[in-house]
Amino acid sequence: MSETQSTLQLILDSGEKIFSDHCDKKLLDQAEAGVFAENLWQQIVANGFNQLGTSGSGTTAEEMYAFIMQCGRFAVPLPIAETLLVNCWLEPGEGLYSVGVVNNGQIIDVPWGRKADKVVGVQLDSDVVFVVEQPAVVEQRVNLAGEPRDTIALPDDAPTVDVGLDPFAQLALTRSNLMAGALQTLLDLGITFAMERTQFGRPISKFQAIQHALAIVASEVAAARRAADAGVDGLQSERFIPEVAASKARIGEAVTVAAEQIHQIHGAMGFTHEHRLHHFSRRAWAWRDEFGNEFHWQQVLGNHLAAVGADNLWSFIATRG
Amino acid sequence: MLQFDRVSLDVDTETLRADVRGFLAENQAHFPKPNSDFVTGHDAEFSRKLGERGWIGMNWPKQYGGGERTFFERYVVTEEILAAGAPVSAHWIADRQSGPLLLRFGTEAQRQTYLPQIVRGEAFFSIGMSEPDTGSDLASVRTTAIKEGDEYRINGTKIWTTDAHRNHYIICLVRTEAASENRHAGLSQIIVDLKNDGAQVRPIANMAGGEDFNEVVFEDVMVPADRIVGEPGNGWAQVTSELAYERSGPERFLSAFRVFVELVRACGQHPAPHEAAAIGRIAAHIMTMRRMSISVAGMLENSKDVVVEAALVKELGNNFEKVLPEIARLAAPIGASRGAFRETFEETLLLSPSFTLRGGTREILRGVIARGLGLR
Ligand SMILES: Cc1cc2nc3c(=O)[nH]c(=O)nc-3n(C[C@H](O)[C@H](O)[C@H](O)COP(=O)(O)OP(=O)(O)OC[C@H]3O[C@@H](n4cnc5c(N)ncnc54)[C@H](O)[C@@H]3O)c2cc1C
Repeated sequence: MSETQSTLQLILDSGEKIFSDHCDKKLLDQAEAGVFAENLWQQIVANGFNQLGTSGSGTTAEEMYAFIMQCGRFAVPLPIAETLLVNCWLEPGEGLYSVGVVNNGQIIDVPWGRKADKVVGVQLDSDVVFVVEQPAVVEQRVNLAGEPRDTIALPDDAPTVDVGLDPFAQLALTRSNLMAGALQTLLDLGITFAMERTQFGRPISKFQAIQHALAIVASEVAAARRAADAGVDGLQSERFIPEVAASKARIGEAVTVAAEQIHQIHGAMGFTHEHRLHHFSRRAWAWRDEFGNEFHWQQVLGNHLAAVGADNLWSFIATRG
Repeated sequence: MLQFDRVSLDVDTETLRADVRGFLAENQAHFPKPNSDFVTGHDAEFSRKLGERGWIGMNWPKQYGGGERTFFERYVVTEEILAAGAPVSAHWIADRQSGPLLLRFGTEAQRQTYLPQIVRGEAFFSIGMSEPDTGSDLASVRTTAIKEGDEYRINGTKIWTTDAHRNHYIICLVRTEAASENRHAGLSQIIVDLKNDGAQVRPIANMAGGEDFNEVVFEDVMVPADRIVGEPGNGWAQVTSELAYERSGPERFLSAFRVFVELVRACGQHPAPHEAAAIGRIAAHIMTMRRMSISVAGMLENSKDVVVEAALVKELGNNFEKVLPEIARLAAPIGASRGAFRETFEETLLLSPSFTLRGGTREILRGVIARGLGLR
């Protein structure tokens, strides 16, 4: 127990060190202008963070997702979550890998598809994925946060692999963790700004309305954190899908509340391009919709519970948790 | 910073859970109309039966009749009973609040007198904090208890006192010394016997059609001096710790749970997309809050300071208890306008204004959280 705790802490601490040194506002702006963060990527690879959670790495899925949450906290502009999952699903390698959803003979919304050495296409409700080596970019696109989300051709003869555990849900879980991380930063930015900004002769943090807004956000952030952990704990159980559904649906709602409140607290300054806030709020907003939005996952969970039935509803909820 | 430990209930609790479910099934006759609100349903007989099973005062020391079980075991019992909608109001405050208060601060004689009775489900307690002019600003209480020889003379009025007309004792926050510069000084807690000491109890009808809370008037009520809980003058410290500990249990997010059960029943095996989404949305919130609440139970088990985390669970949970009936209302199929869904929904909606008031209002809790964030 204490040993795994310390491995986890070690990963988080060195991740934090690298990200605070390299993942600054300038890097985020460049990434959003389409410049790949090569230097940061090399640091990730050199530290083995692209191998977390793979069987040979000696690290666990829990550690991998904790690292992904850390990436969300720093808005790391790289397809780390996707590379990690591909390394878990296929023979792990040292390249940059990405994942998208199969749609009309293409793989769409592929993070940094243009830089990927390999792209995996997942399908809704199927454990089988398509593997595309040397992927051909059909179109370069970006999401709301300016993160590359490219369209990749899906060749007819692309090999398939059964990854065992619903890959779409695993991707949703990466978004849960990324959002939980970004939410923490939204709260931190809000607290810092409220204590520094002075109006009417005192820091705005002294106004009750601002205190209550931050209390609301703190509650949502804490809920998101627990929901993300719940999804990860579900990996080992037959409850994986409903646990992921609950986490993605719940955290999406948290983002809606928190981003709105934190922008309000920042006033006009938070509406500028110059301020860092939007790197986190836009990402969190975008991640709500990637790999199933709140409504999608609420329905998945709701249909599951309808089948469980009213009289067994509580038994379902009251598991070890 | 806020910290919710990643704990889960240990497997050992599963036998206990099965026992509780068996007990509830056998005692269905006690709750023909299930309601998960902990204030609704005062049934002394049911509470005594729980006491017989060892499910009151579960984690108190054996010398006072307690079970020395873990916070997790207590958690399992309370959540099972609430989710089933069984009547718990009789022993609830004694088990959750008054007993732990006496354990932490009471005199040895008080522990020996009251705790074994509570554990057996034979002594029920009310909380005497609020007064006509004292709500959130608890330090402004005016009820006085003046020492005269071996006795205290109590004068004043307590209000909103849940179940004072049914329970045996009330623990009142009183002034034992005149108010001074330090508003928190000179306050004490004192135990009054509601059946024998001469306090006048008048039920107050609530908007939901119930008569659960009361006005309790003290006119020269004399009680023995050994009824002061712990030390005279220590009332403020005691009352704040009492409030902090009671905040994070499953009763803070399950009050409207039966509405959810009836919604799922009304929507049937094949819900429409918007019905499924409403069910999933409610479940996602409840599953998450349960994790948070269990996390606090785990931190209590490890003797950690959880004041802010507990306030946060209550704030989040109480707000959601109000949102749940609204989500259910909009999603409920046409046919649900009659039958169990409507009945449960209406009963809960009428109770819902109280969810974010009792035990500290939402606004006060947000203040506690803000302090935890370093803003005050
Ligand atoms: C069903 C029910 C059962 C109860 N049972 C008991 C009981 O058994 N024993 C007992 O002692 N009490 C009981 N109470 C009383 C309860 O503790 C009080 O309602 C609560 O503390 C609030 O006090 P108040 O109602 O006087 O409202 P007030 O304190 O007058 O507040 C009115 C409004 O103003 C807001 N407000 C007050 N101060 C501030 C502030 N500083 N900043 C911002 N907003 C503020 C409040 O949040 C609230 O919205 C019960 C209440 C209910 C509804």
